[in-house]
Amino acid sequence: MPILVKTQSSGKGDWAIIELQGDLEVRSNQDMHNQFIGDLYYNKYGQPILIIGHHILQGREQKLEKPFAVLEKSKTNEGERLLDTSIATQDMTQLNATSGAERTVLDHTIAQEHKTRQRTEYTVRAVCTKKLIFKSRPKPIIANVAKTV
Amino acid sequence: MESMEIDENDSQSYMRTPEDVKAIVKHAKLDERQLTQLTQALYYPSADVASENLRLLELDTHMLEQIRDGQTLHFKGGLNEKVVLCTDERTYDVKGAEISNSLLLVPDLKFAAATSTSPLKSPRTGNANASLERSLNDSTEDELEVPRTLEQRPVLKVFHEYFECREIKPRFRKLGELLQLTRYSGPENEYCIERKLLFSLPQLLDTVQCSRAQFMEGLQLYRAMELDGHIRVMEYEYEYRTINLMLGLISENSWALDEVEREETISSLNGIAPEEVVSGLFDIYTVPSERCPDKFQYQESLVARIVAQNILQPGLRFRNEEFMRTWQEALPEGMVCDLKYLRGLGICDKEGAQPCIRSLAEEQLPTNINDRMKSLFKAKQKWTLIEMEPYIECFTTPTLSVSQLLAKHARSLTEGGVRYYVSKH
Repeated sequence: MPILVKTQSSGKGDWAIIELQGDLEVRSNQDMHNQFIGDLYYNKYGQPILIIGHHILQGREQKLEKPFAVLEKSKTNEGERLLDTSIATQDMTQLNATSGAERTVLDHTIAQEHKTRQRTEYTVRAVCTKKLIFKSRPKPIIANVAKTV
Repeated sequence: MESMEIDENDSQSYMRTPEDVKAIVKHAKLDERQLTQLTQALYYPSADVASENLRLLELDTHMLEQIRDGQTLHFKGGLNEKVVLCTDERTYDVKGAEISNSLLLVPDLKFAAATSTSPLKSPRTGNANASLERSLNDSTEDELEVPRTLEQRPVLKVFHEYFECREIKPRFRKLGELLQLTRYSGPENEYCIERKLLFSLPQLLDTVQCSRAQFMEGLQLYRAMELDGHIRVMEYEYEYRTINLMLGLISENSWALDEVEREETISSLNGIAPEEVVSGLFDIYTVPSERCPDKFQYQESLVARIVAQNILQPGLRFRNEEFMRTWQEALPEGMVCDLKYLRGLGICDKEGAQPCIRSLAEEQLPTNINDRMKSLFKAKQKWTLIEMEPYIECFTTPTLSVSQLLAKHARSLTEGGVRYYVSKH
């Protein structure tokens, strides 16, 4: 059974990608959920400026050559469809006993049915067409002594 | 890059405040009047986000249109198959791409234009002097201080990988293979058919790695039809016999080639072959007549093929002229046989003393390109590109042509101005 990617609810809101060179890292091993990362500003020319800790980054707004769809996996309620599948699986298992030449073709099909016992679905949550990219090296903010680590 | 560690350990619920923003702007020596009014504070994803359920999928124009239209896409593939992604019309290979950059996915992030009450200024020329000059000018313009607003923006997930898609040819070989298991050869032989190997259209569509539109083309390609709720192909001898009977009606009724009547054909074969089969074959083999409304004409290519297939049984070889004569005689009057109709069925071998036609069915060759190359060069030593094409084209992609494949898997040599491909070893 194919895994569906539903698109009905897509296109709501402007989701964006902020691309940073490298990774965001913290020194300690603390749980970073919900923690503050940094401030994003734009100057009057539309250039994005990101301040993370005592670093300042100058970036650029860019149209994504190939937009990104944000897919979210969801499991649907086991409906009729699943019932169908399990019956098909039974049939398939029985016919697995048939002669060897047919085996390869059928294995795929059986494997397929097995795989989808738990029925997953994806939903397109949003499409990102633009990103802010920060390619240059972060510059330190020197005056800020008190607050940095 | 590192994040600022915020005041000791009570950072649990730190929320950016406008005062903090003001302070940092000052420290960073940014001129606030040069910034748009809105500051967006970014936060790490919350623990509630099931981030493993989120994926980024790179889209091409076609996929984007489909998504914007609200069309459903499908991932297809069994356990042993590489997954493909299908729109209603196209098929894509899906591959995970890892990147060292971080992609922060931020819902509802505002881009520059949305954060400014006045239109954005045209981009700098990159000339330091000019920008300095302009900023001097600007500072006189924007005397008025605008209040700074702050919005909190949680990042949904930080990605280091995304899925990229590459359009590929539909993989409907499996369709052919599944259908081959239950070839139809008349109602009297149906008892031999394993019922469990019969598949309905939706079942096949779900399992075959191609889009719906391509699937329908595939059915046409394999000359499949729906019988009794299942998709079937004919045993080709049975197909040939039935087609032959149908073609016989042309001379019997003195029809011109483009005056074939559907109802008449079906009723004439009543009792000889099941109606479903006759009408199914009729719809596969004919196209509406251009000259006469409501009449039909058989497609020469399909008729010539099934006739040739009947003559050219596997393992047989014929002298060239002999084959062409037999073939031509077996065709209805007005149809002309042509070697091009043998595409993927047989090859013309000119290496021996006498040129001969040999059977070499594409669908019976190995599906792995290396093995297939081996069997092709075993069947015949030297090939031209055109001869080889029907046997190799199933491996091509929009970016990988037959000649590129041959460059990799064969050796080429030129003899008398003609380029041939021979085995690499």
